[in-house]
Parts: sequence; structure tokens; C-alpha cells
Amino acid sequence: MSPEEHRAKAEKVERSLAKLGPDDYEMAIEGAMLAGTHWLNRALHLQGASSADDDVLHTYMLTVNALRKLRVVDAARVDALTEIEDIRPPFVRGDFPGGQDAARRSLELLARIRSGA
Amino acid sequence: MRIDSHLQKVGKLNALRGRLDPDADFEVWFWATMTLGTHAVNAALHHCGATLEDDAFATQPGVYLIAGQDGQLESALRSLGDVLHVGRPKVETPVPPDVSAMMQAMEVIEHHRDPCIRGEREPTPAIARECDQAIAQVLALLHARLGKTVP
Repeated sequence: MSPEEHRAKAEKVERSLAKLGPDDYEMAIEGAMLAGTHWLNRALHLQGASSADDDVLHTYMLTVNALRKLRVVDAARVDALTEIEDIRPPFVRGDFPGGQDAARRSLELLARIRSGA
Repeated sequence: MRIDSHLQKVGKLNALRGRLDPDADFEVWFWATMTLGTHAVNAALHHCGATLEDDAFATQPGVYLIAGQDGQLESALRSLGDVLHVGRPKVETPVPPDVSAMMQAMEVIEHHRDPCIRGEREPTPAIARECDQAIAQVLALLHARLGKTVP
């Protein structure tokens, strides 16, 4: 997907995120993951680290070699997306207490990934 | 996770779907649909005894987060509890026809995930309708299995 298409998708998801309330923390976390992945791919494509036909789906699905390579280029964004992905199991798939705080943290991380992308 | 907790997620996410626009909010609307459907399938799989009902949160096939003595979450290898998506991992135990039908309906939804959310396929009203019909079928089968309507 091209950098411009990633930006359009990310911004569309973020417009939907703006409609969520504090109790909608599951989809706030998931939306942060989806938009953050699009912003990360845009940044990686623009930096020449990956091509438009080689998008990251989830950081945990990358090979170790690929993850290391992408972290050389943009460790801050890769690590921020990894943290969002790690937030998902307890609060989206699970019922661990603290979902609203986890959503706030996810949205902070999303802002960090988006910044300058 | 426990069946009651899955059902709470189902009800909550289904209510959220109703507040989102399947066109303007397609990505989050779709993701809420897929997530609630997966919770519904997990509840049904636990209910029929095919998978383990447990206070464990799936991170990847075979790996779950469980609370330790201090209440902090720790990773551990566990028998199959919650699936991440229908088919991930595959449930090897035979399941009753109604649960199998739920999983087939979820495949209809999952089919649109990567092309429409990750890829370049433009979501259409027809795709949204197809997902809507599939999740309605999933919920109807869940309600019939449990003998009650999820709020």
C-alpha cells in the first residue's frame, strides 16, 4: 500500500476513534493498533526501509531479522506499536482490570507513531 | 476467558457497532464485529467443551497470559483455551454442528479482514451487509446454544 493510502486509512480510523467513549476501551486499543500500523508502514516506506508491497501486519509476526532491520531505521515507532500490540491480550481478548488506562496509553503511543510520519 | 466475560464483551461490542456508521467508520465497525464474533465463538467452544474455559488471555497460539500470585500477568504455555481468530489455532476437537456453523459464519467476516482493513480493497455496502448477516447468524446460534439472549 502506498504511503498516501496508509495515511488515508490511518486518518479514517482516527476519525472513528474520536467517536468512542471511555468505556469503549477495547476498540480504542484496536483502533490505535490499526492506525498505528498504517502510520508505521507509511514512515517505513518513506524512509526506504520497506516497499509498498511489503507492509508490516503485526511486529510479532516479523522474522527476527526483519524486526532488527526495521528497528535500525525507526526503533521508536516499531517499539511503540509493539507496546500497543502487547496491550491487546489482557484488555481486548481478556477482562483484566484497567482497560480505560490501557486505552489512554495506546492512544498516547499512537500519537507518538503518527508524529512526523 | 470465562464464558460470562466473553458474553459481556459480546454485548458491549455489539452495542458499539450500533453507534458506528458501517460506511464512514467501516474499519472500526468491522473490527468490533470481528472481535465480538470471536468472543461469541470462544464462549460457544467453551460451552460445548471443545476448549478450556479459563482465566487466561491468548497472546499467540499456545501462549497465554495468566495472573501470578502477585496479581501480575505472566506468559505461560497452556492447553487450547481462547482462539485468537477462528482457525488460529485450528480446533482439533470435533465440535457440534451449531458451533461449526458459527465458525463458518465468522470465516465470511474474516475473509474481508486483510483486503479491506490492511489492503487496498474499498469496503462497500454489500461487504458491510454480508458481515452484518454473518454476525447476526453467529449471535442467533449463540443465543440458541445458551438458551438466552446476550444483553
